[in-house]
Order: sequence, then C-alpha cells, then structure tokens
Amino acid sequence: MAMFAQAYQWINLKYLLEGLWVTVEVSVISIILSFLIGAVLGLTRYVKIKYLSAIVGFIVDIIRNLPLLLIIFFTYFGLPNVIGIRFNPLWATIIAMTVFESAMLAEIIRSGIVAVDTGQMEAARSNGLTYWQAMYHIILPQAIKKMIPPIVSQFISLVKDTSLATIIVLPELMYHAQVIYGQNTNYMIPMFVALAVLYFIVCYLLSLLSRYLDHRLSESPEEA
Amino acid sequence: MSMIEFHNVEKYYGKFHALKDINFTVEQGEVVTIIGPSGSGKSTLLRCINGLETISSGQLLVDNFDLADKKTDMNRMRKNVGMVFQHFNLYANKTVMQNITLGPTAVLKQSKSQSENEARDLLKLVGLESKANSYPDQLSGGQQQRIAIARSLAMKPKALLFDEPTSALDPEMIGDVLNVMKTVAEQGMTMVVVTHEMGFAQEVGDRIVFMDDGRILEDRKDVKQFFEKPQDTRAQTFLSKVIKHI
Repeated sequence: MAMFAQAYQWINLKYLLEGLWVTVEVSVISIILSFLIGAVLGLTRYVKIKYLSAIVGFIVDIIRNLPLLLIIFFTYFGLPNVIGIRFNPLWATIIAMTVFESAMLAEIIRSGIVAVDTGQMEAARSNGLTYWQAMYHIILPQAIKKMIPPIVSQFISLVKDTSLATIIVLPELMYHAQVIYGQNTNYMIPMFVALAVLYFIVCYLLSLLSRYLDHRLSESPEEA
Repeated sequence: MSMIEFHNVEKYYGKFHALKDINFTVEQGEVVTIIGPSGSGKSTLLRCINGLETISSGQLLVDNFDLADKKTDMNRMRKNVGMVFQHFNLYANKTVMQNITLGPTAVLKQSKSQSENEARDLLKLVGLESKANSYPDQLSGGQQQRIAIARSLAMKPKALLFDEPTSALDPEMIGDVLNVMKTVAEQGMTMVVVTHEMGFAQEVGDRIVFMDDGRILEDRKDVKQFFEKPQDTRAQTFLSKVIKHI
C-alpha cells in the first residue's frame, strides 16, 4: 500500500490531471467537429444527390475501414511529406480523430434516418408537406432519438482512442502515466488503476448524458 | 367535373408490369371502391393518384394537374388529395392534436388557433375529443386510423384516397372506422377506397371496380347487381371465395 501512497503523491497526480486535461481538450474539439461534419456527410449520403452522395459514401466507407492509428500516423508523419505542413501532435490528433469519427458518425446518422419507417415520409408528403418540411418536422426528430445511444457510444470510443496518440507523443493522460511509471516501475500498477478510474469517470459521464437526453426526448418528443 | 382521370396508364416496376392499360375516371363526389386479390395492382393504382408512385406511360389527371408532366407541382396537388394508409402512419413524434394541425399550419399557413379549433371539430366528428394530447402509440389501431382520417380532412381536400384502411385492424375496431368513412362519404367527399370490406362497398360505394393482374376487369355503377352477378369469371371466383367466409 505504501507503493500506492507514494505513486499518488501530489506531483504525480497533478501531472496525470494535466494529461487528462489534454485528453478532454482533444476529445471535446474532435467531438464537436466530427459531429458537425458527420451530420453533413450522413445527410448528403442519405438524400442521394447525384454523384456527390456516391462519392461521399465511397470515402466514408474507406475511412471507416482503416485503423485509426494509421490515420494518426498519416496526419502526423505522412502529411508533411505530401503537403509540406507539419502539425503539432495536438492538432495532428484532432485532425485524425475528426476525419475518422466523422466517417463513423456519418454512417450512424444515415442509418438513423433510414431506420425511420418509410410510412412517415409518405404520410407527410400526402399531407402536402415538402420533402424538407417532412424531414424537419417528422423524420429527423424521430431519427435523432434513435441515433443518440450509438452516437454516445461512438463518443466514448473516441475518448478512449485518444490514448493512441501517446505514440506520437501527445502529452495526454496515457502518455503522462507512462512517463510516471517509466521513472519507477513500482508505480506501474497504481498508474494503471488511476488510468482506469479517470477514463471510466469521463466515459461514464458521457453515458449519463446519453441517458439524460434519451429520457428527455421520450418525455416530450416534440422537443427532439 | 372529373376529379381523377386515367388514360391508357401503364406502370412497370423494372420488368414487372403492375398496371396494364388503365382507363378510369372518378367524378366529383363519387365514392368508388376498388376490390381484387392481393397483388392485383389496387394499391399501386391508388398510390399513383397522389404521386407516391409515378406512372410509366399514359396520362393521369388529378384535379386538373397532369401527373405525367415533370413540371407539375406535386405539393400543390397533394394539398387537395388526402390519403389514409393501411398502417395509419400517424406522426410518431407528434401528439394527436399536432398530427392534425401540422398540415394546416405548415402547408396551408393557417394560424395555430384556427387550426386547433378545426382539429377539435374533426376530433368530435371521429369521436375522439378526449385524445387530443395523446401520442399515437398510446392509441388502439382503430383510434389511430380515425385520427388519420381527421388529419387528412384537416387539409379540406377535394378527394380522399383510402389504402385498405381496415386491413390492419382488430375486427371489433373495423366498424368504428367504417362509420367515420361513411359519414365523410355522406358529406359529399370524393373517395377512392381500396378495401376488402364488401359490406362497405355495397352500402356506401357508388361504384365498384374489380382489378386482377394489373387490369381493371369490371367497373360498374350497379354495385348490388355486381355482387349478385359479376360478369368477369375471375371476379366470380374472387367473390365466391370472399363471400363464403363472411
């Protein structure tokens, strides 16, 4: 137990929390960007604009089937050779995560819309609504309700996957933990425990948010 | 004046020939029932009328809108032609009141208060005044279908299309829905009803159309005589099978 007490001395905890801050920073920026881009891509794929939807679908499918680590490597090590711009680890990670997660979210958003019963659109059109009026009043509110659980799961994966950036020396939570137990291997187990607790807290907060949104939407579908 | 006119209409789904040489006219105020075995093209014909399906060739005029013409504004035509579906298709995210008032407010640009007043009258008509604030999944099938009829009527349409409106209902609910449809018919609404309810066809219908294999095989105004003595042999076989189980 003395080992734990020593490992958790304030200077180490402070260092871990600094790493956590970078993890949260990368996660929040990537979540916001990928949600916006994913929504546009998913909708573009759904509404079937000639050529454009097919191209978007093709790109989304490619990205979804690549390992995230490869995309991180490419943005950090590859881009300088291709376009001559070197991003720092923070922005390389944010860009890679955003590219990958946008593709994942695009597919979640598209399938959420597809999952709404086709009879809803037919009824709305027969009712005299235009396509976009039907989307706005009827289809999207129902689709969003279906999408929330898979979207939040995706965000939880995103938070956990930021730890991959440790490989390009992004000073995030996982990397800082490694630095600490790199100095004293006795700290390894305490650090693993601390990592588990910290990742769990962040991710659990996200799933609570999902439950809250789900609950609110089922209470008053109108606000969807 | 004719409300709906089919002239030599053909409809293909890929290679499948769904509607064959349809010539068919519905006058204003007429109540036409369409019967026939499953897969005979009844629903396809109905869905062509409000543009949920497009015709492959021929001419189709609905309320003087030419549906074969790409320039025709389908939304304007649909304001005047309502549709009631087999599976009701009430908006799942809206209350009964919102289901009825969405069309009038969003499409006809009526005020919310006027739309709600009219909706209350319609709810009275279908006998469901107490359900204004319920969501569709809190209602029985029969209640949902009566709300769906009210939703269509709220647009003050010139014609209403019914696609097997009672086929998905429990037997004890069918009567309530048919009664509402009868009331609407008596108020002079032009109606095209695809149905398996032979009683309704006889009692309320001004005209009966029998379809099989994508063709209209009989189209008669003497509805009672049709049921006693259909001319087409396939209509005879169909009726003998249906009537046996009534």
